[in-house]
Amino acid sequence: MTIYKPEVAVIKRVEKLTVTESLFDLELLSGKPLGHRPGQFLELSIFGVGEAPISISSAPSDSPTFQLCVRKIGNVTTAMHARKPGDKVGIRGPFGNGFDLENFKGWDVLLIGAGLGLAPLRSLIWAVLNSRQDYGRVFIIHGARSPQLLLFKEELREWENRPDVEFYSTVDVADESWQGHVGVISTIIPEVDFDPEKTQAVIVGPPVVYKFLIKELKNRGVEDDHIWVDLERKMKCGVGKCGHCQINNVYVCQDGPVFRYDRIKNLPEAI
Amino acid sequence: MEKYLVTKTSFLKLVDEQIKEGKEVVAPVRQENQANFRRIKSTAEILWGGPQTVVSAKSFVFPPKEELLNYETNDEVRVQPRVEAKPLILLGVHSCDINGMALLDKVFTEKNLDENYVKKRENLTVIGVECLEPCSPESFCYRKDSVLPWDGFDLFLTDLGKNFFVEVGSAKGESFLSGLGKKATQADVDRVKKIRRERDAKFDEKQRKLKPKLSDLPVLLKENYNSPVWAERGARCFGCGSCNMVCPTCYCFDVRDCVELDLKHGIRARWWDGCMLTDFTRIATGEIFREDRGARLRHRTYRKDYYLFEKWGKSFCTGCGRCGKACLTKVVDPLDIANEIYERSRSR
Repeated sequence: MTIYKPEVAVIKRVEKLTVTESLFDLELLSGKPLGHRPGQFLELSIFGVGEAPISISSAPSDSPTFQLCVRKIGNVTTAMHARKPGDKVGIRGPFGNGFDLENFKGWDVLLIGAGLGLAPLRSLIWAVLNSRQDYGRVFIIHGARSPQLLLFKEELREWENRPDVEFYSTVDVADESWQGHVGVISTIIPEVDFDPEKTQAVIVGPPVVYKFLIKELKNRGVEDDHIWVDLERKMKCGVGKCGHCQINNVYVCQDGPVFRYDRIKNLPEAI
Repeated sequence: MEKYLVTKTSFLKLVDEQIKEGKEVVAPVRQENQANFRRIKSTAEILWGGPQTVVSAKSFVFPPKEELLNYETNDEVRVQPRVEAKPLILLGVHSCDINGMALLDKVFTEKNLDENYVKKRENLTVIGVECLEPCSPESFCYRKDSVLPWDGFDLFLTDLGKNFFVEVGSAKGESFLSGLGKKATQADVDRVKKIRRERDAKFDEKQRKLKPKLSDLPVLLKENYNSPVWAERGARCFGCGSCNMVCPTCYCFDVRDCVELDLKHGIRARWWDGCMLTDFTRIATGEIFREDRGARLRHRTYRKDYYLFEKWGKSFCTGCGRCGKACLTKVVDPLDIANEIYERSRSR
């Protein structure tokens, strides 16, 4: 057994979410649960194509099934989209630190998922909702480029309808079907009725959004040590060797991908 | 560890016998006007002294391309990890490369132990040789405390004319010697000390100076993150990655699959990669996190003389001078960069 050997996993179910994103239910051939924390990622292997880091989209659970929400964008993910139930892929991980729920218990939590950022955030959202009594108010914010690109639409409706969740969504560009907020995700923050002093805020999204969302949160008075970010980099090996994911001296695959903002705000390459 | 005095002829005869027995021995040999590590058939081929080999000795523990696993994807998927390692005697290794491997030992064995590296390392017998003359105008090992090995060798030879002064670095080295020679006397040790004093004086005179103190490099670099040096040198850098390829301590790698024509069998291998290349930080959506060549040059320099220096207490540049020699536009040399930053920060 070497650190580079993947375990074989079987695709159990595929659900198309949008034109480019699908949700894959997977199980390890060994039948063991993955044993992950929200915010962790794994290395997905398509043999013959390669490996790519993919965040885990399902909540931690004892079930052997775990879910990956995969956008068809690179070599491995395009090949993944050609796979169907019963096909086998490789898995290494879970890797990275993930979110420590202890940091959020007793607090109001503001969970912001921009675009595909909802994929990893969903793991945290369900972990929070599965022990809802441990948290104060729960805010969920999701933004997408257009209504067609909103992910997990049924779950968005469920969260919107839950009395114990305060839900906000926005699209960059609306169509006739859209009645809600229009504008990039940072423009919705001023409308969210949260108490900055009681809130831990979590941002997960593409690299471009962090600067703007952090600025909006700080404008509202959220302290740096109450902001958590889940950063995307090229995590090629997942084990702190290959060098691709480094932010200055920090290996995202080992020390991240989840960081408390005050701890990385002085790393010039971070945000 | 023990020290011996062994006649050169008996030592070389021992190696030649090992070659005859079929042992694989690799040493620097001259190829046109360059030096390269090659498998030798006789110790007569060995190039003792300079110049430094084009590529460092790291390729024998961390090869340019290395299979990590192979697979078969029929109804069942079979994944077989591959750890290639066979006994190899590496002879005539200079201190810069021995220290390079000693540094790689740290990074490949800390947490997540890299078996592919470790098994090769265990199979390697490293016989170093002391440099008594500077190997090239580019090298600056004396400035990086790397003119002698700190660790990581099995035997280390110092040329005393008719004899080798042999320092034993491991039990493997001791057994390689197989009782050859006689224990070094205090007079032998004193003679080597004298030779080293003279060598140090010669290296101090001939090698380019490092203006800041070696131990000050991490702080000097840290304080000059926004120095114009990065942009100026970055503007001239081709981003070719040659510096990464020749470096004894660069260990970044890419992982790729190679599939056979039946599309069912294939290998996954790692290849050397380089932080100076544009695509090094590129993700599937197209973002490149270190797009600017100056930022990449800073990152490379920081890894050697700040990030890893601070973490492990040793500079990850052993002063071999290969990067400066390989650099087409002469921007990458770590000693030049440190000196320029030092001068400019003093004149501010």
